[in-house]
Amino acid sequence: MITIKGLRQGLLIVLGDGTWHEQLRELEAKLAVSANFFKGGQVTLDVKSMALSRDDIERAKALLTSFEVQLWAILSQNPETTRNAAALGLEHTLPSPAAPRARNGSPPPDSAPGRGSPDDLATGEPAAASEHGDEGTDGVLVRRRVRSGQVIRHPGHIVVLGDVNPGAQLIAGGDIIVWGKLQGSAHAGALGDASAIVGALMLHPSTLRIADTQLIQPAADRRRTKGASLARLGDAGIDITAWQEK
Amino acid sequence: MHGTVITITSGKGGVGKTTTTANLGCALALRGQKVVIFDGDIGLRNLDIIMGLENRIIYDAVDYVEGRCKLKQALIRDKRAPELYLLATAQTRDKTAMNPEKMVALCDELRAEFDFIIVDSPAGIEQGFETCLAPADRCLVVTNPEVSSVRDSDRVIGLIESKEKDRSVHLIINRIVAARVKKQDMLSVDDIHEVLSTEIIGVVPEDEAILSSTNRGTPIALSGKGPASAAYADIARRIMGEVVPLQPPQNGGLLQRLFGRG
Repeated sequence: MITIKGLRQGLLIVLGDGTWHEQLRELEAKLAVSANFFKGGQVTLDVKSMALSRDDIERAKALLTSFEVQLWAILSQNPETTRNAAALGLEHTLPSPAAPRARNGSPPPDSAPGRGSPDDLATGEPAAASEHGDEGTDGVLVRRRVRSGQVIRHPGHIVVLGDVNPGAQLIAGGDIIVWGKLQGSAHAGALGDASAIVGALMLHPSTLRIADTQLIQPAADRRRTKGASLARLGDAGIDITAWQEK
Repeated sequence: MHGTVITITSGKGGVGKTTTTANLGCALALRGQKVVIFDGDIGLRNLDIIMGLENRIIYDAVDYVEGRCKLKQALIRDKRAPELYLLATAQTRDKTAMNPEKMVALCDELRAEFDFIIVDSPAGIEQGFETCLAPADRCLVVTNPEVSSVRDSDRVIGLIESKEKDRSVHLIINRIVAARVKKQDMLSVDDIHEVLSTEIIGVVPEDEAILSSTNRGTPIALSGKGPASAAYADIARRIMGEVVPLQPPQNGGLLQRLFGRG
């Protein structure tokens, strides 16, 4: 059973049990199902105590590359695996979870945690598809403006306090909430959760997807959704409703 | 080590980085600052042409870094201002001739001699941009009032903010035409600020005199005439720490409503 978590350095994929061949087949199936979630991402593989040769690692790397995913690190308790990963130029430890980089001097208004690498993540588990609202699920809080070219990818929910500019990208396994203007592209339920929602104070995404359904938004629609709005998947595609109507 | 390194950048090409570098250098130097303007666009040498100093280049920054000359020999004095110098770049090399470490070391040397080191970054967000960003204490992002330029500026501001080093980032809106903004043919200062949410340090109106002065090799800031020259003078004063209110662009339009909300 493969599990996916969010890390500051990208995604962490924890592999299950079985032979390397079985693991890779399972990984391939996972990547294939949620290709858009992983595409362009950076991955750390936790292979536990499994002994892997350089060839084994190269196979995993090639598999990930074929889905446009970059292998960044191999985590293992097996020294041989670690050595082989290092020999291939991969990381084999995660930096200690340091405090978010604080800016020196008087902090500008948007210098909140979360300012950092463009592909910016905090730890988290995938959102459980059937448990919205029960005990809460994991997510990442981004307290800054997300600018063009920046990608926030998280297996759980993404909450942004600030605007998401045109050209920026949010990809969440769960819901996406933007306390601000959402003008970039958003993909909620990117691991297949069709019950995921996208909400924003101003919902003007350049593209919007929920699970496998894409919203094609005619320009005229933009005028109708002026204030805070929610997008969810209905029978006939993505519905956008104004928050006031709720 | 007292000098300030200011990197002029934009992401998109052709928005006026080099013109801005030349004119801000002149405007600061005319206000008594000791200034060096530094062409960071290795292989695509331009700043010397805009400054009209092309035929004075004997050595350039790459010559100095690789040990072929003294720093003094690579610094070209511009006599039109009290203390203005040009550090040219190599025409026949590529971006690999410099790297962030060499750039930081060179700029640290220049800090000892100058009040301001203004680095003209190449377009793009690749190696040349990274090299020019490395030594910067502050960045001025030049943007034009059009959607694609603003989008690229947003990208560049995000990249600057993601670095470890703490820098101030300000915006220069270049080539604005008041009449076209009024007709809603062109993004307004407010429109741009809404997307970039970065403090604006100057708004330079479109000015035909820029084109002719650029071709003549006499930056318009040296003449002190015309709306663009006045805008550069204001930016120089703001860089020096003066509080100068943003003036509505004066290339012939009623822009009061843009700034009225202030």
